[in-house]
Amino acid sequence: MIEYIIRRIIQIVPTLFGISFISFSLLMLFPGDPAEIIITTSSGYEPAKEIIEEYRREIGLDEPFIVQYINWLKKIISGDFGVSWTTGEPVLDMIAERFPASLQLFFATFLISAVFSLILGIISALYKDRALDSIIRIFSLLGISIPSFWLGLILIWIFSVKLRILPAFGYGNIEHIILPVLTWSFSFMAIKTRFVRASLLKELSEEYIITARAKGLPEKVVIIRHALRNALIPIITYFSLSMGHLIVGSIMVESVFSWPGLGSLLVESTIKRDFPVVQALILFVGVLFVITNLLIDILYAIIDPRIRYGGKNV
Amino acid sequence: MIEEKSITRREFMKYVAVGCAVAMGTSFLGCMKKEDVVKQEIQKNIYRDEFILGYGKDHKLKGGKWGIGFFPKTHILERLVEYDLKRDEYIPSLAEKWVLENDGKAIVFELKKGIKFSDGEEFNAEAVKFSVEWLKQNHPLGKETFEGAEVIDEHTVLINYKEAKFLNLAKMAEFHMGIMSPNSVSPAGDPKGKFVYPIGTGPFKVVDYKEEQYAVYEPNPYWYERMGIKPKFKRFIVKIIKDEDTRVMALRSGEVDAISDYSHGGSDYTPRNMLDVLKREGFKVYKRIIPLTWIVAFNYEKEPFNDVKIREIVDLSVNRDEIVKIFDNQVLPAKTLFIEEAPGIREANRIYKYDPEVARALAEELGIKGTKASMIIEREQGDQILVGQLIQQQLKNVGIDVELNVLESGAYKERRDSGDYDMRIYYIGGTDRRFYLRMFWRFHPKTKWKVYVSERTGELCDRILTEYDKNKRKHYLIEFYKAVYEEHGVVPLYFDIMTVVASQKVDVEYGELFRYAEPMFHSVGVRI
Repeated sequence: MIEYIIRRIIQIVPTLFGISFISFSLLMLFPGDPAEIIITTSSGYEPAKEIIEEYRREIGLDEPFIVQYINWLKKIISGDFGVSWTTGEPVLDMIAERFPASLQLFFATFLISAVFSLILGIISALYKDRALDSIIRIFSLLGISIPSFWLGLILIWIFSVKLRILPAFGYGNIEHIILPVLTWSFSFMAIKTRFVRASLLKELSEEYIITARAKGLPEKVVIIRHALRNALIPIITYFSLSMGHLIVGSIMVESVFSWPGLGSLLVESTIKRDFPVVQALILFVGVLFVITNLLIDILYAIIDPRIRYGGKNV
Repeated sequence: MIEEKSITRREFMKYVAVGCAVAMGTSFLGCMKKEDVVKQEIQKNIYRDEFILGYGKDHKLKGGKWGIGFFPKTHILERLVEYDLKRDEYIPSLAEKWVLENDGKAIVFELKKGIKFSDGEEFNAEAVKFSVEWLKQNHPLGKETFEGAEVIDEHTVLINYKEAKFLNLAKMAEFHMGIMSPNSVSPAGDPKGKFVYPIGTGPFKVVDYKEEQYAVYEPNPYWYERMGIKPKFKRFIVKIIKDEDTRVMALRSGEVDAISDYSHGGSDYTPRNMLDVLKREGFKVYKRIIPLTWIVAFNYEKEPFNDVKIREIVDLSVNRDEIVKIFDNQVLPAKTLFIEEAPGIREANRIYKYDPEVARALAEELGIKGTKASMIIEREQGDQILVGQLIQQQLKNVGIDVELNVLESGAYKERRDSGDYDMRIYYIGGTDRRFYLRMFWRFHPKTKWKVYVSERTGELCDRILTEYDKNKRKHYLIEFYKAVYEEHGVVPLYFDIMTVVASQKVDVEYGELFRYAEPMFHSVGVRI
């Protein structure tokens, strides 16, 4: 197992190189002159061509693409993520400042949606094609269909404007997180509930379940120890891959509730063409994703001992 | 035993005196005007210690490479001069008076005495010199404008400019030209030093700031003392709420006392179609029209709009009264190039008309039916998409098929710079202080941001921006408006506004709130 983990960690390096190269290339394909966009959006001024040229030289945009990439990579390897072109602050400081807000929002949403989607998904599968199943499916459908920004505004209207029990926006206290989490959980939960239901239904139709039932095992044992345990593997994979939502998925929610997370930082930096920040964030998501994948693989082995790594028993 | 108490003559006289005093006092109060009594009450205790404002843009108080945001530029810093749009005059602010030298390539500013920065430091020529050098070092406006500054004496400073132009003085009233204390950077007074936080002579000083979340200010006692007024709150908290609908909800829920448009104008504003609704709900709506005109700009260097006649057809086909309905009639249809308060507009008397019949006749005469034209719009300017759709419909009536391309900001700029468009929706002018600078950006042959330049308008624009004499400048302005009108250089659509919406508890005089075009919150009081 340790050998496997080491091998996987080594494999992470070329993956990250790949991510960094592709994202760097894509940024260069962005339309518009980054130097001009940076100056106009950050200074509120429309500068002369000479000023734009001077700034382009200052941030190295006059260099060929590959030189820019190598220069950036050299810095990254030495732990220097550079400074933001718009604020002049170290990029890592900016990410560190916003990371806690993103993490709080994500984990609160993840936990709530994971617990409820598991419960609702199981109920829905067990009561397939009955009234309860229909209600849960309608709920899921609504969760998938209702846009987050609209739901967010409706919740603000109910809980902040009418009832005046929760704040409409902001970050800091426990009450600030309730509405953003409710908003985000609704859509998060909807998709996952359907996934849990489908996975469990698939397992319940397997022959080993029929055998278990034929052996006279109590239904609770059949469901929990046999069907659910096997259904958990795709469910865990699906849930874990939602780590990528830590940044990207929260953009709408952050925007509606003025939540100072990484999602809004990514959007603002992209609009302003603050490439050092965008690059660092993409790399950050990449690292998160790769590490999560590694953890999932390890988790597989724990959940299902039949899974072997590197031809050896774990 | 009951003790009989008798009063002495002296005590009797004392009681009589007190009684008379009370009676006189009561009658005096009775004679006082009601307003005076109210004023006294207000001064005592009827205002809350805090005023909370919802605003759509971060204040960027860390400064960074490009300086602080527009809001603190007007609330923390002051400029040497301010601009009075109605009189087209530059009026003293931190400078008492000024004299042109070297044909206007240099200006000697005599500074007001006895002014202090919010940290207690004296405002003097050294501070002006530092600010000029800091701007020259850090801000594109400073780089483009200044040669340098020399201290003549403690309260006199000479600023050398790169060109001899009236625009030099106009730029001194610009947002970015705020005078900062040398202590705003570390090491103090070093233009290349690290920016710490802005210290100015204006109404407020910074006490706390969290990027993208809030900024907390306190009144600058030196400014209030100088203005002879008293602040009605102890803390001014600005909460950053980027989503416009959430800003409105925050006002309705009472989490903020007021919401304001972005000081720069043109974006991050309270939805115009919410203003009447909020008024009906009991909120106070303060509105100020600004010399910012939204226009249709043409790609006048290529077909079909290199033909003045085809530009005229567009001009005559646009129904501005319909366009302002998109904004619930809160903005005004632009039937002149700028608002009528702008210098020379009334005298030029050039009214843009809507005449679809003439437009159709002209279109038939030119045989342009079926002409295709692309219109580019920035996605970030959401309202302009609706404006573009309406114009598309209006131009269809004269046979011009408009293809709308709603583009992300970078893509929009790329199309604009490559000339790959026929029309675009854009703006000219700005808040009052930007009037001449934006004229330079939009109509001067030298800039890349221009919307229309012909030989005639280009020359006139240059003269306007060079001429220090107000009357001569006005003459050039009138000629310029006429030229743009006759050449159908741009199609004015509507005049933008600046708004503040406040709860019933907020007291503020309109004149103080809109002392300049951008809202100023120094005189606000929030009743308990």
